[in-house]
Amino acid sequence: MKKLSFTIVLILLLSLLGSSVTFSQILPNLPRNETLIVDALHGRLANPKDFNFWKPGVSVGNGTQQMLLDGLWYLDPQTGKTINALAQEAPIYDKDFKKMTVKLRKGIYWSDGKPFTADDVVFTVEYLMKNPGMSYSAQFNTYVSKVYKTDDYTVVFELKNPTPAFHHIFTSLVYSTCYIMPKHIFEKVEDPLKFEFNPPVSLGPYVLKDYDPQGYWWLFERRNDWRRTSVGLLYGMPRPKYVLFIYYGPDEKKVIAQTKHELDLIFDLTPEAWEVLRKGNPYSRVWYKDFPWAWMDDVRARIMAMNLEKFPYNNKDVRWALTLAIDIVDVVTSGFGGISRVNPLYMCATQSLLKEYYAPLEDWLKDFALEDGFKPWDPTVPYRIADFAKSKGYKIKGEPREIFGYGWWKYAPDEAEKLLVKNGFKKVGGKWYLPDGKPWKITITAPANFEIHATRLAFAVADQWRKFGIDTTVETVEAGPFWTKWNIGDFDVGSYWAVPATDVYPFLQGFHSKFYKPTGEVATTNQIRWKSKKTDDILDKLVKLQPEDPKAKELVMDFIKVFVEEMPHPITIINLKFSAQDHYYWTNYPSADNPYMAPVWWWGQFKFILPFIRSTGRK
Amino acid sequence: MNFLKRYILPRLIQYFVVIFIGITIVFLVPRFTPLDPVVSVMNRMTSYGSMYLDPQALEKLRETMMELYGLKGSVWEQYIKFWGRLFKGDFGPSLSIFPTPVISIIRDSLPWTAGLLIIAALLSWIIGNILGGLAGYYSEKRWSKILSVVAMSIYPIPYYIMALILIILFAYIFPFFPIVGGYSIGMKPSFSISFILNLIKHAFLPALALIIVGIGWWFLSMRSLTSTVKAEDYVIYAEVMGIPRRKILFQYVMKNSLLPQITNLALQIGGIFSGSLVTESVFSYPGLGQVLYMAINNGDFNLMMGIAVFSIVGISTTALLIDLLYPLFDPRVRYR
Repeated sequence: MKKLSFTIVLILLLSLLGSSVTFSQILPNLPRNETLIVDALHGRLANPKDFNFWKPGVSVGNGTQQMLLDGLWYLDPQTGKTINALAQEAPIYDKDFKKMTVKLRKGIYWSDGKPFTADDVVFTVEYLMKNPGMSYSAQFNTYVSKVYKTDDYTVVFELKNPTPAFHHIFTSLVYSTCYIMPKHIFEKVEDPLKFEFNPPVSLGPYVLKDYDPQGYWWLFERRNDWRRTSVGLLYGMPRPKYVLFIYYGPDEKKVIAQTKHELDLIFDLTPEAWEVLRKGNPYSRVWYKDFPWAWMDDVRARIMAMNLEKFPYNNKDVRWALTLAIDIVDVVTSGFGGISRVNPLYMCATQSLLKEYYAPLEDWLKDFALEDGFKPWDPTVPYRIADFAKSKGYKIKGEPREIFGYGWWKYAPDEAEKLLVKNGFKKVGGKWYLPDGKPWKITITAPANFEIHATRLAFAVADQWRKFGIDTTVETVEAGPFWTKWNIGDFDVGSYWAVPATDVYPFLQGFHSKFYKPTGEVATTNQIRWKSKKTDDILDKLVKLQPEDPKAKELVMDFIKVFVEEMPHPITIINLKFSAQDHYYWTNYPSADNPYMAPVWWWGQFKFILPFIRSTGRK
Repeated sequence: MNFLKRYILPRLIQYFVVIFIGITIVFLVPRFTPLDPVVSVMNRMTSYGSMYLDPQALEKLRETMMELYGLKGSVWEQYIKFWGRLFKGDFGPSLSIFPTPVISIIRDSLPWTAGLLIIAALLSWIIGNILGGLAGYYSEKRWSKILSVVAMSIYPIPYYIMALILIILFAYIFPFFPIVGGYSIGMKPSFSISFILNLIKHAFLPALALIIVGIGWWFLSMRSLTSTVKAEDYVIYAEVMGIPRRKILFQYVMKNSLLPQITNLALQIGGIFSGSLVTESVFSYPGLGQVLYMAINNGDFNLMMGIAVFSIVGISTTALLIDLLYPLFDPRVRYR
């Protein structure tokens, strides 16, 4: 009898657990065909209820900046075009770049019905200046002497010094920008560092509907007055009524979720996870429909960073020797299965920047020679990668140069050997020795358990250098110490990622020697500790020009040339992103067939993609 | 009185000394690692497309953040301030999600960890010990041998693999269970039947993975302990006396075998304060483990210390309780 009752209770319990009424899956109360589900960039957040973006350390990539916040300008890395969002047009500078006037777009309202005006912009700047613990406070205090409005839709910034790129503070160049605060909310806040801005008043096309107090998901609902937002005015109605940002956990879980059509957009997968997903869900795709799949227009490239204050990396010949000891085709094919675009210059090899910077430099690259006359440029690299792909049975659609890059440096171990011998290095029994007779050992610092491509690159390059005769090991470290090492220069060689794209102007300025910090001190720029009189001269001229000025572009080219000559470190491949899209419920995401915008679900500009996507009609 | 002086008092002194030393070490260790919370936050602020910072602005920002984070002054000054705050139950603000108080982060996450891990630990302990005790005592039986083989096969399976197998089986192939969160999206926490069932459903797979792996360990250790105790003279004597086997099993063998298992259980339960990172990560289940991982990665000294203090006090307290309760389980202690 006891056994029978136990069995009955067990069956009842299991049936309750399995009941779809009690436990429907991911969205019990929302129509799936009206809901877009997006991978949350930062994973789980320990304080998911804080929407005060202007506090340092608040993570906004889990939906806050995409759905609720808005900025003046966004520069799309895919098309290279600027989106005038809250601003009506480009900024207007006076002749000496000490005054910037911004015309604001009319007809935009906060989600609580208050109009967005110049008062909000002026308030944002003045408020952040007054509160030194807030983000952007230091920048505004450095550059701004006065900010005021001349009418409800015109703001004037008076600057302390000529600053032709001041508008970049308000431009989303990469990921984020200084978003505008609602004056009517924050003017009542006594301590902004304790204020959580919850519930948030939105300037974007959505409002916050609900969130998980444990930090796994955030749900946003389209505003009824979406027309009164920059997205509505520029591109029309964002298609999904609801957008859910959710963190499923490791890649395996994301793959399972997308295979079940419970996750429409994934931030990034490993190539292996993508391989499983593509076989498991015929509706999944990344940027290219077929090989090489990945989006290769990201705004950073992988580098083998070297601390130029440390011996022997303070020697240009050594750096060039290490560069020429890398067979990049082997790195790309064995380390990345041929899915890579090579990126030799200090400019990201995105499709738009290849045309803008790489194409005009090609003749110079062909003629460029080291001091002994050796010409290192190798334009055959993309074709050899394409040959590898063909040998694996993949079809290459289009010109290999457009897919795999314009070229890289020759694999020339003989020349590398010549450069080292010239500097007193010795090769005995196939192993390299430093000029003082000690064995040459290289430790490459690489990320552990994150940014898997950087780790792969470290191992692939270590293989190359070992083959060349240098005792090379890889040290993998967690994110915290990894970044601290980077900032204080506690590395000899590190597999990091840098290189500018849309943000070329501020990025280059960071190399000016006035910003130099010696090893051991924190540097938030120029972590490789590079000092060059030539680049200083270029940057002194560049800082006086607007980034959009054609002369500025010429100076950037000059900078790139100096970088090649000095070779502070090899730059290898552009960042890859396997940002998977599920076309089961929604379609017309940006892709290689229709590259209307960068596929950056985690950037603030994601809001502008939403009017373009389409429902497939499936329920 | 003598028992109090001889047995209880030294243990109480030891308890406070362990806590003091443990907390001091936890305070010092992060400060001697290459982690810098200010650098971490500044890195996040500048790495996402913000403008480069003028060195003066950079220094100003750094000074401001050091001040805000309470990291100014020597390590000794910080240490004194830290104890001053700790006695008021204040762990200070989290440095990575400034200025959220550490205590509120722990308060939000701890119940999830505690709920899952305590239930899983107790269930696996009870089941593992009962089965292990039976298998050890009736070691010659066929079912005992089968159980032992099963336990030995399950125990070496890495927890992560076990968890993934369960997810693939019960969340993907047979999609009975969800793969993320503590409860369904759109549900509001309440004491309703539907919410409690929803809660159980979300905790079912994480708990099952912990229980399966836990049972393997408890089973094998209990079987081994029982086998040893079974060979003791007093057990053989009891068998010769003709006392029923069931009575010998429960009152002579298992009771004596359980003592080390009770110690292990208490230590395991004390350890829940540091969370279960793998469980939370694989099942995307709320809890302290991921919070601690995030704190370590971001050099969040205050949050690390907050969680570590809970863990040190938790483990020390349970160890003390075991020590104090041991005489009740084992009368021999009282007469030593």
